[in-house]
Amino acid sequence: MKHLLIIEDEILILKSLQKLFERKGFKVDASPSGKVAIDMIFANNYDKIICDLMLQDISGFDVIEESRKKYSAQEISQKFVIMTAYNSPQVLSKASSYQCRLLNKPFQDLDEAMKQMIE
Amino acid sequence: MENQSNPLIEKEKIKVDIYLDPEIISALGNELEHFHFSPVNKCSQSICLKDNKLVITSHGHSTVLPYFKKNILSFLNSSALPKTEVEAIDFTQPLKSFHNVEKKLFAQETNQTNLRESWDEIIKSINSISSGSHSLSSLVENILNVPFLQTFQSSLLVLHIKGQTQASLLGTIWRDSDVSELLNVKVFNSLFNSVKKSKIKSFTTENFPEVNLPFNGSFLAKEFTSKKYSLISIVSRHDFLSYSKNEIELFETCIDLLQPYFDRLVDQEFSNTKVSELRLCLKDFPLPVKLTDQRSGANFNNNLFHSELQQQDVIYSKNIGNNFKIDFFDSHELRHYAFDLFHFQRISLLGELLNTLRHELSNPLFGLKLGSQIFSTLEVSDDSLEMMTEIEKNINRCQIIMENFSSLYQDQSEARPTSIQKIIDEALVLAKSEVRDIKKSLQYLDESQDLLINVPLIFMVQIIFNLLINASQSIKSTYTGQKGEISLLVSPVDGFLSIEISDNGPGIHQDQASQLFKPFFTTKPQGTGLGLVLSRNLAVKMGGNLEFCPSATGGATFKLTVPIHETFADH
Repeated sequence: MKHLLIIEDEILILKSLQKLFERKGFKVDASPSGKVAIDMIFANNYDKIICDLMLQDISGFDVIEESRKKYSAQEISQKFVIMTAYNSPQVLSKASSYQCRLLNKPFQDLDEAMKQMIE
Repeated sequence: MENQSNPLIEKEKIKVDIYLDPEIISALGNELEHFHFSPVNKCSQSICLKDNKLVITSHGHSTVLPYFKKNILSFLNSSALPKTEVEAIDFTQPLKSFHNVEKKLFAQETNQTNLRESWDEIIKSINSISSGSHSLSSLVENILNVPFLQTFQSSLLVLHIKGQTQASLLGTIWRDSDVSELLNVKVFNSLFNSVKKSKIKSFTTENFPEVNLPFNGSFLAKEFTSKKYSLISIVSRHDFLSYSKNEIELFETCIDLLQPYFDRLVDQEFSNTKVSELRLCLKDFPLPVKLTDQRSGANFNNNLFHSELQQQDVIYSKNIGNNFKIDFFDSHELRHYAFDLFHFQRISLLGELLNTLRHELSNPLFGLKLGSQIFSTLEVSDDSLEMMTEIEKNINRCQIIMENFSSLYQDQSEARPTSIQKIIDEALVLAKSEVRDIKKSLQYLDESQDLLINVPLIFMVQIIFNLLINASQSIKSTYTGQKGEISLLVSPVDGFLSIEISDNGPGIHQDQASQLFKPFFTTKPQGTGLGLVLSRNLAVKMGGNLEFCPSATGGATFKLTVPIHETFADH
């Protein structure tokens, strides 16, 4: 069973994604706070970390930066999935520097988006 | 050398071609130490003392003046100091090199008469080149007319105006095609330095792979530099043979002799560009402008200026220097420009606001949508399921409206084939809340419903939206007893598509009708008086028009016409 972490400050999105993945049989941790999520990343071994960029306390990029203390660049690119509603060129270029998957919100096709998150 | 900070070094004296009476020199002494006078009285200019008066002779004319120091100094200053206004061509350098070559050439024991003849011919042709070339490119081209260069195929000039990031390469190759290219300044510098360091001034293109010279083979090059620019002159026969010593020396002399003309032409062309750039700026300035040279009375008027403008139309006037005066006029164009500016400012502000709103709302809406999707998969009663489906539908609608609004404010002034039905539907969606209680009827004549017109969607939607809002506000402004109604009638007329938007409101009084399209004219307490002006401007931009049509039944009718393009008409 895969272990997921979802970081998203919009509670409805967070809870919904958590429910949807749990129904598919995943073990899902959820955090609306980036700082709390960093502690969780260090305490657990997640297979995938699905992370929003615009959080209330810190940004999703900060979470990824902190995680580099634990994971190699290659692990980062495989574990992290970035979700964002702001796909400005700056955001896109920064996201591509980590080489991880990037999904735009709102998802056009929910099932497809979920498939991509756990690939 | 002149060096003011070091008193030990003597200042260079100005040598003047004037004879000065020794008595005056000894009397004035220190005052005249900068001048070095002619020792004998054989000059065209002289100052002598006679009966304690000054006799100043200049080119045969004599004047008698009182023996005052200031008279002597002012004459010396006016005639002896170099004239700064007129820049004389300086031939000292070129002449020196000319004499050297001449001496060397004729020192050789070759067939001197022939050489003398060709040398004279060279000098003659240089004279005719320099006087007959009125631009840099023609001078460069004419270099090939010098007798000994007549077997050469290309003449090029690489010019770098100091301070610019690019150098320009111009000239002619194969004697018939013109070249004009730009060169990176680094490439120019490396070429310039190689040419400068070289003693033989003979190269091949293989030496400079980084310089994209438009020919292959060996070439002669000569560089020189001035305060304002650096320049390399290049000639080539387009072969790989090396050049003779004579050829090299003759080429160098040629370029040396031509240098003053290069100087003058570069100067001229360089300042010409500046003037023409300035002219261009003024020409397209969005106000009528008149620039007057008060000394000569000459005028420069820009594109918007026309003869009907009077002195009272001047809104701003400024004197530039002592001679020039620039006037800006108030005008129709100014007002149009100001509206556009005002309007675009508001639109762009609105656009930013909408973008923020879209971002701020799309996340929570997305959450709602996900939540409702999860709920509808739970085991709930049919009633609840129906409700959840409704919620989801509403969320979808919110998302679509937001998309429509923000796409409206993106830059979509590009024309593309759009169906008239889509345009009207979008305008109706945007005006929905305003026209809520008003009955709307929409009629398409002659299958116009399916017509595609090639226009910017945003222009059309904005005009129809404005007209709908106006109609609705007019209906609501007075209670007429009958139910409000707005009718849209779409019909194709003679290659144009006409959209008539009528309301059954109070209509427009005859005396107001003529003012409808004047800026800032409004009958509404909160109106800006710009809606109709802008709408008509947009219609005209699309090649159509917007008119007010009096209606027999009261109420108001506005008719928008836009051209239908044949290619889309039978779609």
